[in-house]
Amino acid sequence: MTYMPGEKPYPLLSVRNLSKFYGKTMGCHEISFELGKGEVIGIVGESGSGKSTLLKCIAGRLTTTNGSIFFNSSYGFIDLCRTDEMLLRKIIRSETGFVTQNSVEGLRMTVSAGGNIGERLMAGGMRHYGQIRKIARQWLETVEIDAKRMDDLPSTFSGGMQQRLQIAANLVTDPRIILMDEPTSGLDVSVQARLIDVLRKLVARLSLSMILVTHDLAVARLLSHRLYVMKDGRIVESGLSDQILDDPREPYTQLLVSSILKP
Amino acid sequence: MDPILNIINISKDFVFHHQEGIRIKVLDDFSMRFFPGQATVLTGPSGSGKSTLLKMIYAGYQIPEGKILIRHKKEWVDMAKALPSLVYEIRQHTIGYVSQFLRVLPRVSALDTVIEPLIARRMETGKAEQKGRQILERLRIPENLWHLSATTFSGGEQQRINLARGFVAPYPLLLLDEPTASLDPANRKTVMDLIREAVQDGSCVIGIFHNRSDQKELADRVIDMSPNMTSQPSSQALEV
Repeated sequence: MTYMPGEKPYPLLSVRNLSKFYGKTMGCHEISFELGKGEVIGIVGESGSGKSTLLKCIAGRLTTTNGSIFFNSSYGFIDLCRTDEMLLRKIIRSETGFVTQNSVEGLRMTVSAGGNIGERLMAGGMRHYGQIRKIARQWLETVEIDAKRMDDLPSTFSGGMQQRLQIAANLVTDPRIILMDEPTSGLDVSVQARLIDVLRKLVARLSLSMILVTHDLAVARLLSHRLYVMKDGRIVESGLSDQILDDPREPYTQLLVSSILKP
Repeated sequence: MDPILNIINISKDFVFHHQEGIRIKVLDDFSMRFFPGQATVLTGPSGSGKSTLLKMIYAGYQIPEGKILIRHKKEWVDMAKALPSLVYEIRQHTIGYVSQFLRVLPRVSALDTVIEPLIARRMETGKAEQKGRQILERLRIPENLWHLSATTFSGGEQQRINLARGFVAPYPLLLLDEPTASLDPANRKTVMDLIREAVQDGSCVIGIFHNRSDQKELADRVIDMSPNMTSQPSSQALEV
């Protein structure tokens, strides 16, 4: 089904009244927002606030209970909740990227680092082995992994390297939208700083369109243009990142912002 | 001459939900116009709303009441209602803002921090770096620090990096929050020169200065934001 609102151009993504229930338990409820091309939005909130559920619905990893997710895909502005399974898989695979907190989920640990990157190119139809290796090498360098490690298994990489590899493997096919679920959690701060720096440069250079789920408000401020604050499955406040963090209006946002320790 | 900024009836209060719901009214029905080639100094005690006003103009604070009209590429835009994408564009080209403290990033060199506004405007890196080096030199940041992250810099050095970043690209409207607060006399003079040059080139500069001599030396007009200066109808502030 194609959605035809009055206004054009279409946003890249338009989520409308999205709800997800696990049986009777609410994951997220009546979520609506839009994402423009070249925009990064952060979704913040504590564990259990429904932010990862929301992201997984958008990524097609969970079926939604209610609502729509309109995506400006190469097949038109279509509702991912009402797209047939085959087309949905195709769009998710070639036009979206998903970086998970747990790199074991996001990488193939039995395939070399270069293979993890090359796999996506081959899925997209590229066949020339030398060309694939060349692109893989460039991407490893972009995410600050020594190209000499190309033929090593990701299981021999540190956590920070695995996350950077996961990012490279997702960006190599130039997806229209990148979804990131707590990409910096579970890493030491020094390792985090490098990952954040790599991400920051990529966002600026490639004008990535991205949804970033994080509970780290400093990361959210650094990378996102706008923020959505979630609590108990709903959005409680949204706005420009500095507005939300410097001038929070809602009681929950004020609590969240005032709870950060500043070293 | 047409103003570049027209503030109409803005009010602002802060409610602290976790501190017994205290409500603090900072701006009450404030209106004022600002013109190109004009330097305005905001004065008044802490808490009188000077920084809040600058942050609202930049849309870094929400604007719950009133209008903040800014002339952006010959069109009037209300910052209270502008779409996010337009706000980003206005911040890139029309409004520059130098905060009181630099938000330092690990692993990003001082030079890269300074030239970021130029890179955002798609200036070629070599040219941007040349401009960055010039302004760092003018603000007396030793060359051996340029390629280090500002995280380990002193407060004064960080403030100068912040200022270099604010002055590296021209803006029609420049907002300065206590730009001379932590500077030695030589750098203070450089900053005053930079401000004067920006004004001569047609920028509208609005700054917060506590130092009387700074105020005298610089300002085409001084606006006292003290709460007791509220006698003027439809404007909280009084021009002195």
